[in-house]
Amino acid sequence: MTTRRRLAITLLSLLAGAGSSSAAHARDCATVEVRNVRAGQGSLMVAAYTDAASFGRKPVLSMRVPAADAVTTFQLCGLSNSAVALMLFQDLDDDGKMARNVLGLPIEPWGSSGTPGMFGPSWETGRVERSDAPIVVSMSL
Amino acid sequence: MMNRRHLMQALSALGGAGLAAPAAARPAVAADFAAAVATQPLLTPFKGVSDASGDPFTERLATRGRWPQSLAGRFYRNGPALFERHGERYHHWFDGDGMVQQFSLAGGHITHRGRLVRTAKLQAEAKAGRFLMNAFGTTIPGGTPGTGPDSFNAANTNALEHAGRVLAMWEGGSAYGLDPSDLSTQGPVVWRDDLRQVPFSAHPKVDPQGHLWNIGTSGARIVVWHIDPQGALAGVQVGDLPYAGGMVHDMAVTPRYLVVPLPPVQLDFTTPVGNGRRRFALDAGQPLRVLVMDKADISQRRVFELPPKAVFHVGNAHETADGQVVLSYVGAPDAWFLDVGAVAMMKGQLAAGGASSTHIARLDMTSGRASTQSLGDTVEFPRIDPRRIGLPARWLLSAASWKPEHLGNHSLLHGVQLRDTQGGVVRRFDYGAHTVVEEHILVPKPGQRGELDAWLLGTTFDSRAQATVLNLLDAARIEDGPIAQATLPYVLPLGFHGNFTAA
Repeated sequence: MTTRRRLAITLLSLLAGAGSSSAAHARDCATVEVRNVRAGQGSLMVAAYTDAASFGRKPVLSMRVPAADAVTTFQLCGLSNSAVALMLFQDLDDDGKMARNVLGLPIEPWGSSGTPGMFGPSWETGRVERSDAPIVVSMSL
Repeated sequence: MMNRRHLMQALSALGGAGLAAPAAARPAVAADFAAAVATQPLLTPFKGVSDASGDPFTERLATRGRWPQSLAGRFYRNGPALFERHGERYHHWFDGDGMVQQFSLAGGHITHRGRLVRTAKLQAEAKAGRFLMNAFGTTIPGGTPGTGPDSFNAANTNALEHAGRVLAMWEGGSAYGLDPSDLSTQGPVVWRDDLRQVPFSAHPKVDPQGHLWNIGTSGARIVVWHIDPQGALAGVQVGDLPYAGGMVHDMAVTPRYLVVPLPPVQLDFTTPVGNGRRRFALDAGQPLRVLVMDKADISQRRVFELPPKAVFHVGNAHETADGQVVLSYVGAPDAWFLDVGAVAMMKGQLAAGGASSTHIARLDMTSGRASTQSLGDTVEFPRIDPRRIGLPARWLLSAASWKPEHLGNHSLLHGVQLRDTQGGVVRRFDYGAHTVVEEHILVPKPGQRGELDAWLLGTTFDSRAQATVLNLLDAARIEDGPIAQATLPYVLPLGFHGNFTAA
């Protein structure tokens, strides 16, 4: 990842409400490692949820990350809970929404923290406990 | 930013199509098949191929008999071919990655080339060295999520050259385009940007004018495709199915209508197998529906109800002067083959059951009344003279089985038959109990018009020679058997369907 790209992601994280002190930063941030990214195609759209009630409705944090590399890593800051569930999709055409075909079938890659469920992620399948280890998300084939 | 509700709705739709959901069984063990098939020489082709050993190619096949100089063109077949990776083996015949076979015939010489379709799935799994994606009948533990139908697309059911490219087709996703010159994979065919990954089923029909008609189904929706003779999208329509979530495999066309059997066979990928529960069962309380749609406006339609049957394939349909649609199809009393037979063979086991028969239905477009008649034979893979698709065709060609000792032991087919659908006469050739007979097709002789002025072209597996054989018969003298054969120096996996393109 280039320095410029790292800077852009960090700025996005700050804009999203990351803390200002380094200690707070460490507490409030998670490293996210996204695998199976279609490198150089559009953006990763990220949404973070911290409880079942808001899952899928109101993310505590959302951000756009350039889909730079097959494995794209970034910092997600502004988290207060220890448990978090991430949902991502790769916006290949950068139109800001998940593309679907005429039948409504999704045709852009998606991913979730945890173990994605059969019919897409839920709070139960997507939640992970934050730790020093990166949160790993594998994008769909 | 992210609209999770839309994502969930979209993923649910995908799951409803039976594509994202995990199948019912974990992978089998490759070594178990190897041990079992050692005593079942008829089932050798179910070993399949490896993508590490390269694609088969023979410049000039060994031949017997006389291959006519006037028979020139390319005969394609497709079928599941790659069944094993990293010691794991698929459970279901339909799971395998597709390999397209091309027999190029010119001047009495025959060249064979087979190539695995380089789908996104195949490429990812080859790179990983193991299966990643859930398949029709096999769950891959920790399976990779799919983006859409094409993440699971095995491109393994039919091959047709149309408008200069070979279409390798599956049932639930895009057709894959291949280059006819070397069968290299061009990628999924995108007819229009908003039609990406919309199912393009494996049994399109090309009418006598060269227009290709096809369907695709997903959950409760049906898509009708019209591709012009130049290979461009001429039209697409979307409608609702009167029976959602079932197996919809084949369709027929007439000059005015699309005729789609909707057997009452639900595809249940979500409930664990056990306690006698079947994944793919026929609901005998539901009729076999036949959806007849006006090509020009599919909302103009009739739904007919016939006695429940499991139906994979149609033979043909035509319209009569008194407003009927006559449909030939092959129906079975249950979904045994889909649920049991196709799994047993993958285990290296022979099993008998679920025999399917020719049926002729009459659908009255004026009154809505329908009737059907079973002709009591045991057949699959019905085909007709390709110049008569959608028009009255007297002769129906099928792969068949009629010997009691054969029928009692397994569901493989040992012969071919031509049925006179007007007079009832059945003419047959028996390849023998040591042979597995695959789909044969009618290839019209150049410059001739009669239905039986045709060759019959098809492959068989000779279990004694342990070789795949390409056969040519004269339709007018089917009883005489092959007038010419070409033997491959290897065993091809058994295929499903194919088509001939004249040079």
